[in-house]
Amino acid sequence: MAEKGGKNFSSEKGKTPSNLAASKEGSLKGKDSVPVNKTRHIQLDDSDSEYEGFVDERSPASSKASGKASSDLKSGKKKVSFESLKTGRKTSFETPAAKGDWGKGGKDFNAGKAGGKGSLPRATAVKPRLTEIELKLELELPKNARLLMDCEAAEILQEIEEHKTILSEDPKVKFPESFNKVLQYTKFGSHYINSQSARKVLETLKINGVNDGEICMIGNICPETVEEVYALLPSLKVNKHKNEEPIKEVLASLAKVKTSK
Amino acid sequence: MFFHITLERNMQLQPRHFGPHLRDKLVAKLMKDVEGTCSGRHGFVVAITNVEDIGKGLIREGTGFVTFPVKYQCVVFRPFKGEILEAVVTMVNKMGFFAEAGPVQIFVSNHLIPDDMEFQSGDMPNYTTSDGSVKIQKDSEVRLKIIGTRVDATEIFCIGTIRDDFLGVINDPGAAS
Repeated sequence: MAEKGGKNFSSEKGKTPSNLAASKEGSLKGKDSVPVNKTRHIQLDDSDSEYEGFVDERSPASSKASGKASSDLKSGKKKVSFESLKTGRKTSFETPAAKGDWGKGGKDFNAGKAGGKGSLPRATAVKPRLTEIELKLELELPKNARLLMDCEAAEILQEIEEHKTILSEDPKVKFPESFNKVLQYTKFGSHYINSQSARKVLETLKINGVNDGEICMIGNICPETVEEVYALLPSLKVNKHKNEEPIKEVLASLAKVKTSK
Repeated sequence: MFFHITLERNMQLQPRHFGPHLRDKLVAKLMKDVEGTCSGRHGFVVAITNVEDIGKGLIREGTGFVTFPVKYQCVVFRPFKGEILEAVVTMVNKMGFFAEAGPVQIFVSNHLIPDDMEFQSGDMPNYTTSDGSVKIQKDSEVRLKIIGTRVDATEIFCIGTIRDDFLGVINDPGAAS
């Protein structure tokens, strides 16, 4: 089980055993004493195993110990019992609120007792910078990965659809149903008349230290005020003094390019 | 979030497909194999945009199959923890509600729904605020934040919340809070 789990979780190298120990106490009351290990290197899982559990491994099973301290549940929520929700499903979700029993659902969690493959001590992070860390994960994707906003994805998928309608005359060629679902979703999500202008406007934020993921999110969400931006993307607050004005300007420019929806 | 990335894959082709349309057959096979699948690393492969390069085929020992390394570009969708998404509600029950955003299913537990919203059962089960001003029911559009993800062979499943500021039902003027 540890091995299986070990495969899933590429190690977070900076973790110290003390974190694990702290989390192991298993108190579900939320220990906010667990330190954030800021030097942690987050690595994505390389394997495509069937048990490829969680895209994000940073809030590990041990996070349930700091579950309540986890800042994305800001108001100290009740624990969610997912087992009752998903009958018969052993795997639970990797969320701070999720139960994620140590022993149970072993296929997703490497309890780290035996150490698995060094996927060990998970720092049970108190995560004020969740979004920031999360978005940094994108850097782990292959370097040629280009982030697309929903509107850009919509344009690309639309082109593909046009090609496909030509190809679909060939009876042998089949298309996955999901393609239509995604196309619909991107259309529903794209608020701008023109994705290039939206992209141009948002690129100006790059010089202010806003990273790609955050730019993309701002593009997708279409916030109306700066407060909304900071509320939804807490990682930007770090540089608030630097980026507040630019963000205001960008929001104003974006408003001009929006479609009326 | 959507990404446009380059991936590589080894495609195996049977001898009966060899001939003048070898490349087309290879591309068709690639599309069939890859589109609509999910991987933990890249997320959900939505569509292949183009095939960059097809390498030299290597004949496998003992069989007549030939393996071609194919490099292609595709659009992938991958949800991240902390990401804000707009999704459409597909089902509501007393444990929470399910919503869909593209290929991804998101579940929002009732614990992650603001306290002032209560479950109302009936023909159209829904969550409503005490004053009835905000309602979440099937086909409502909601903005939610993803707090957990799980990747399967063919689908991605997430847990979300609408408890934070600026999350919740869209298109109601006073709704998102």
